[in-house]
Amino acid sequence: MPLKENKEIERIKEVESINLARAEIRDEVIETKKAVEKDNELLATRVHQKFKDNNIKSFDIVGAIGAGKTALLEKIVEKLSSQYRILVICGDITTRVDADRIEKHKAETIQINTGRECALNAYHIYKIINNKDLENYDLVFIENVGNLICPSEFILGTDMRLIVVSTTEGEWVVEKHPMLFRMSDIAVINKIDLKERLGTDVEKMSSDAKKINPKIEVITTSAKTGENIEKLINLMEL
Amino acid sequence: MKEELIKIEELIGNFDDIEKSNIKELMQIFFKKLGNRLENYVGDYPTFIEPVYLEDNVKIGDDVLLGPNVYIGANSEIQDYVEISNTIVFDNVKIGQNFKLENCVVGKDSSLNFKNLNTKNSVLVGVADSKDKLQSKKL
Repeated sequence: MPLKENKEIERIKEVESINLARAEIRDEVIETKKAVEKDNELLATRVHQKFKDNNIKSFDIVGAIGAGKTALLEKIVEKLSSQYRILVICGDITTRVDADRIEKHKAETIQINTGRECALNAYHIYKIINNKDLENYDLVFIENVGNLICPSEFILGTDMRLIVVSTTEGEWVVEKHPMLFRMSDIAVINKIDLKERLGTDVEKMSSDAKKINPKIEVITTSAKTGENIEKLINLMEL
Repeated sequence: MKEELIKIEELIGNFDDIEKSNIKELMQIFFKKLGNRLENYVGDYPTFIEPVYLEDNVKIGDDVLLGPNVYIGANSEIQDYVEISNTIVFDNVKIGQNFKLENCVVGKDSSLNFKNLNTKNSVLVGVADSKDKLQSKKL
């Protein structure tokens, strides 16, 4: 296929919309998109099996920018690093700011800079675990790129997915982003220490999450004060 | 880190003896010591899975994935849609579009100036404008 069309398909894949494809390449775009999704699922299955074979418990943490994913992970790792050997994989567009923060709490970290991609995918994780001796770890946390949209396209093969939102994003954040809540196991509403000051309706956030996914566990936390971090760790079955 | 790099460069200089050499072991040692250096490249935002070490003036095209365990020498150019892992690319190298290299070494001043190569466990050297003209040895 000519390079120009290849580029066009790449661009359309990036914006994840087949509606942009002109008639002549529409079939090709749809097939490519389906194949990419299938490949991701296959790789996620392999990732999961590798974790399982090595008795590793694994968690994918998704959430909006600034919701407190890294802060929560700092608290979790701080509490668990004396009991477990922990690997944290951090996804960001650029920099290793998050990995540096978490590393201070005695976990090994690997940073993935995704460049123009807005989510980690199973291939990224597969590449990492193929280069690691997994016998050296008990827990793997994967902190996804901060946003509430793209990570829903790519499962990573972890045991559990946590979605983190916070009181600063307003009480509509949950109902406006149902996809990730549908495919997560635990919904964390963070920055609960700011609830009164901001007047955020946390009960609405919680009931919205349950409406979208009746099986989801909902917990309110404050990574700043440490409130409910122990409870969250219990929910993660650790 | 530089110590292994110098040894590997010497070893690939004896192209006919590569299969008998200990390049693979040296690469393992080298990658264990490899840190990150990402700030000096020219180009768009690629995907990096650390560790990735870029010497000065590396040029990177669109939709490139580098890592884990990648070293790119000074003044080298990585074109669009390239994926490289567990690989050493020496100075002043050109990697063509849509290459996928895994566990490879690309010799200094090599110009792999063609499209579409998917290879593993190889040493690649020389100036080639097509796959047929590529000089390669299995590791």
